[in-house]
Amino acid sequence: MNGLIRAELLKARAGRTTWVLAAIAPLTCALWAVLPVFLLDLESAMPMEHRVENVYNMAQQAYVFTLVLGVLAMTGEYRHQTITWAFLVTPSRSRVVAAKLVASGLVGLAIAVVSALATLAAGAALLALRGHPMMTPQVPLVLLGAVASTTLYGLFGVALGALIRKQVVALVVALLWFMYGDYFLSSLLPDVGRWLPTGAARAVGGMHLESGALLPAWGGGLLFAAYVTTLVLAARLFTLRRDIT
Amino acid sequence: MSAITASHLSKDYGDVRAVDDLSFTVESGTITAFLGPNGAGKTTTLRMILGLVTPTEGAAAIDGRAYTELEKPITKVGAVLEATAFHPALTARTHLRVLATAAGLGHARVGHVLDLVDLADAADRKVGHYSLGMRQRLALATALLGDPGVLILDEPANGLDPAGIHWLRGFLRAYAHEGGAVLVSTHVLTEIQQIADQVVIIARGALVRQATLTSGTNLEDLYLEATR
Ligand SMILES: Nc1ncnc2c1ncn2[C@@H]1O[C@H](COP(=O)(O)OP(=O)(O)OP(=O)(O)O)[C@@H](O)[C@H]1O
Ligand SMILES: [Mg+2]
Repeated sequence: MNGLIRAELLKARAGRTTWVLAAIAPLTCALWAVLPVFLLDLESAMPMEHRVENVYNMAQQAYVFTLVLGVLAMTGEYRHQTITWAFLVTPSRSRVVAAKLVASGLVGLAIAVVSALATLAAGAALLALRGHPMMTPQVPLVLLGAVASTTLYGLFGVALGALIRKQVVALVVALLWFMYGDYFLSSLLPDVGRWLPTGAARAVGGMHLESGALLPAWGGGLLFAAYVTTLVLAARLFTLRRDIT
Repeated sequence: MSAITASHLSKDYGDVRAVDDLSFTVESGTITAFLGPNGAGKTTTLRMILGLVTPTEGAAAIDGRAYTELEKPITKVGAVLEATAFHPALTARTHLRVLATAAGLGHARVGHVLDLVDLADAADRKVGHYSLGMRQRLALATALLGDPGVLILDEPANGLDPAGIHWLRGFLRAYAHEGGAVLVSTHVLTEIQQIADQVVIIARGALVRQATLTSGTNLEDLYLEATR
């Protein structure tokens, strides 16, 4: 299993996509942090502490990059037909997917950490510049949570790619769902939303919402992990066993 | 025990019966030519032997065990499949390193097989820029990575230049001489006639002829007669 994981990491390192997305992720997070800083000048019912924490919560915006990388890592094997080699070397298909999950988790973790640091730097600088409090006791936890949720999205991507083998379809489904479907559902129906993947991930990241409470962080983490597990099991049942022709 | 055993293999793709109750064996130290018209079911059969396609009926074994139950399978079986593909952004060396790492093999084999197929000079170029023959050489290198005792080759000479074909013929002959078993599908009869010990001919998925080749046999006549 160790060899398999190292092989996956080798592949991830060799592709340019990994590096490009890993470079854009922290920049994106830093940019996202600008908006909530400026919103601090407006009136809000939310306590100042929460609003400051939400600035750092923008570290979660790296999710889209780990999600996409996860989908690409898995579906790329089918797209380039390299899955044939993978299964020849490792006929246990579940082990191939397991190694991908671990490797994508590690790659995602690295991207998540860099993104959290970028958000911290940008957020703190902007808050100081605008004369707002820079810290709350919760900020380290918020950043840790963002790292955890960003990492989990990478696993989600792999699991989704295992279920939907067509790269374009898997990418479109993932992006439409997370950027629009789940996002709007969560905004419109918070009671439903907190049980959806985005709600679960936000809970992990300790996001404060105007309306409707999220699950506790640990609950969100478990729920998100359950979604990933369900996708992996569905892949095992429906697509992983299919003929490789 | 035979190196490769196919027993009553059948495969249905929807309404199409791609392989129909096919049985044959390949012994160590021999080369078996696997022949048949386009769409006869050769590739499907080879993929079933390799555990990539699940047979509708029947089973296949390598040294008596299903491919999927082999430990470190690429150290026992090397395979070149039709339309083999590689990640275009990886170099040949990285592609081989990835598989060697996944299989728990040393990286020393990587340089060795690259030399073997005469790809050492191009090893650090992206596979996406490779010619057809270069890709085929890389596929052969991949098959040999684990130093296996059984080779399963689907049109391995596809795209190879004359020197490459000459090399492959010599290589397979020596390989079998040293005790290796080879199952090779091809349409180039003059080429395979020079080295094959046995021929298995299928048509519409079913076995139509199995024969031992002697120096007197004209393989083309045999083939045309069997598949008429
Ligand atoms: N994935 C698939 N889905 C549906 N039908 C398939 C699939 N793969 C192969 N077939 C069918 O199975 C039959 C056997 O195909 P196969 O590729 O095994 O033939 P072949 O002997 O390798 O032919 P060739 O000499 O052209 O390579 C053909 O009728 C083909 O159309
Ligand atoms: Mg074929």
